[in-house]
Amino acid sequence: MSAAVEQLRSEFDTVRAQLPGSVIAPERRSRAIAALCAQGLPSAREENWRYTNLRILERARFAPVDAHAEAALAQLPETPAGFARWVFVDGLLRSGTAAEDPGFSVRSRRSLPAALAPAWPLGSDLPEARLALLNEAFALDALAIDVHGPAAPAGIELVFVTASTAQAGTSYPRVHLRLAAGVELTVIERHLGAPQTGSLVNGAMHVELGEHARLQHYRLQQSAAQTTWFDTLAAELSAHAHYRLLSIGTGAQSARSTVHVRLAGAAAHLELSAAALADRQQSQDMYVLSEHLAPDTRTTETFRGIASGRGRVAFNGKIVVHPQARGSDSRQSLRGLLDGPEAEIDVRPQLEIYTDEVRCSHGATAGKLDENMLFYLLARGIGAPLAQQLLKWAFLEDVVAQIARTELRGEVERALSAQMNAAAMQELC
Amino acid sequence: MLKIHNLHATVDGKEILKGLDLEVPTGEVHAVMGPNGSGKSTLAYVLAGRPGYLVTAGTITYEGRDLLALSPEDRARAGVFLGFQYPVEIPGVNNVYLLKAAVNAVRKQRGEPEVDAFEFLSLVREKMRLMRMDESMLARGVNEGFSGGEKKRNEILQMLVLEPHLAVLDETDSGLDIDALKIVAQGVNTLRAPERSLVLVTHYQRLLEHIVPDRVHVLVNGRIVRSGDRSLAVQLEQRGYDWLISEAA
Ligand SMILES: Nc1ncnc2c1ncn2[C@@H]1O[C@H](COP(=O)(O)OP(=O)(O)OP(=O)(O)O)[C@@H](O)[C@H]1O
Ligand SMILES: [Mg+2]
Repeated sequence: MSAAVEQLRSEFDTVRAQLPGSVIAPERRSRAIAALCAQGLPSAREENWRYTNLRILERARFAPVDAHAEAALAQLPETPAGFARWVFVDGLLRSGTAAEDPGFSVRSRRSLPAALAPAWPLGSDLPEARLALLNEAFALDALAIDVHGPAAPAGIELVFVTASTAQAGTSYPRVHLRLAAGVELTVIERHLGAPQTGSLVNGAMHVELGEHARLQHYRLQQSAAQTTWFDTLAAELSAHAHYRLLSIGTGAQSARSTVHVRLAGAAAHLELSAAALADRQQSQDMYVLSEHLAPDTRTTETFRGIASGRGRVAFNGKIVVHPQARGSDSRQSLRGLLDGPEAEIDVRPQLEIYTDEVRCSHGATAGKLDENMLFYLLARGIGAPLAQQLLKWAFLEDVVAQIARTELRGEVERALSAQMNAAAMQELC
Repeated sequence: MLKIHNLHATVDGKEILKGLDLEVPTGEVHAVMGPNGSGKSTLAYVLAGRPGYLVTAGTITYEGRDLLALSPEDRARAGVFLGFQYPVEIPGVNNVYLLKAAVNAVRKQRGEPEVDAFEFLSLVREKMRLMRMDESMLARGVNEGFSGGEKKRNEILQMLVLEPHLAVLDETDSGLDIDALKIVAQGVNTLRAPERSLVLVTHYQRLLEHIVPDRVHVLVNGRIVRSGDRSLAVQLEQRGYDWLISEAA
């Protein structure tokens, strides 16, 4: 057993009595730890974790942060009109009121009596679920969102703030989101952090979409620059459900998100658009597994990543088409842009097909800025730094243009250009 | 305006321009003709400063300055315009944004304030009408999905908005239908002025019926082998290049 796993078990033994049973039942926590100890923590020697900075796990403090940092709440962006907001600080729900309506309920499970807390499906049955198991073992709270009918607000905003350093422990945000049949919802998820705090975050989110449900899920990872950010997102889609996930990753020192989507019902559709920027020594790593388990299911994946400085960007998109998924359709357009001699990009489509009647197309490229385009702009008098920025901008457009909400798109554009400018400034210095 | 002396240039180690001499006085329109692969586009790229086009000998003087000492963007800001033989598509960079950024780059160089957005747009609209371009093209990506002819018109539109001192138009007439050729020629003619010079690279004498050149040069195998007045273009149309190629050899 490795030192990290040893540490993990001993920390668990120390805090287990204080972990709330309503969030995760004690037996499940113990099972999660046992499974983790048996499997070991992810390591960079494993193919799917090559680009993740896992060194922090060797000296991590796994016990959950139990600080009371309210200060960070002051500087949040404005809530979009018509949205209801819930804020987590270091994995604990800090603001946002419980909603209890027949059509719409949002509850912190920490506040529930243990007996009332229903079982939670996210856990050990996922491939690459070890970090989700870690969350399951230690989570201090979980937000359960159930939407049945029209009483829901226009949208839900989930804000995750980190305020404590990794020395104080890990934060384990946890969300369960369920949309009943036919329900439509927009969720904006933000990850922010107090500047100068190097936090360790290991989130878990589970999404369940009923038949014909439609979820538009925006995920903006803008964690503080020294943070290590891990996340596991699992989704299960019933027939004709449509899941649009749009993820923008600019923050953190090292970010890894593991996404596992099960297209369980006929004609379920995953539409994933993701963009990631890494500069300095940042790493942005995303692993997406989409399983086609029913006929006529669809996956549409668009990824655009830019690595500058000594940054690393990785996207591994695996699609598995099971025998029963006749008539399914999967498309991947994965592109990486290398912006500097020391930057690294790895974009990988992976396809496993166990039936004949399927349509699959994938394109994956990694390269530098197009010389022809660059010269065309220079020949019009546009200076090299601006020309490069315009082209990077254009490169991300396929993803950014998918943001239907104008105010959010503006915000994302500002965040992206701030980061790109910072990278350009660094080159000049 | 432009003086090229003994210009040698290589691309990927291969010498393409082999001692080219050319002089374009201010206010004149010159045509450069020549067989495929003779080095016309290479000349245009060298003038615009394209990376990879290495000048190994010779000089280029533009408005009394050493053009080769300037970066591509500084050449453009100093009034050199290249109309591309194959205009590049840049999806995601808005056409009107490019125009505005280009105009502002020139103004910044001259110490002038940025253009007024409203005035600029009405200027662009006016030029677009002249080029018979649909206004919806402004909102599209640069040349994105444009037909061959539309791309060429877009080059001329950019030229009209930028009002360069020296414009080098590389086969702007290729791929244009008969009406478009007239429209493009009209556009170019509006820019003819005593303080401005134009270099037209073309294969066809027809363009030169609409834009009458002061001089015609023939480029063969990296050198200007013959220069004359517009009747030279008519002669080439009838006789082809073989006689000049054998003379040059
Ligand atoms: N990267 C390169 N490496 C080697 N040779 C090149 C390269 N680029 C261009 N050339 C050669 O340089 C020569 C001149 O090309 P250029 O494009 O200037 O010709 P052109 O006169 O414009 O022809 P056209 O009338 O077909 O447009 C051609 O023989 C071409 O093959
Ligand atoms: Mg040419």
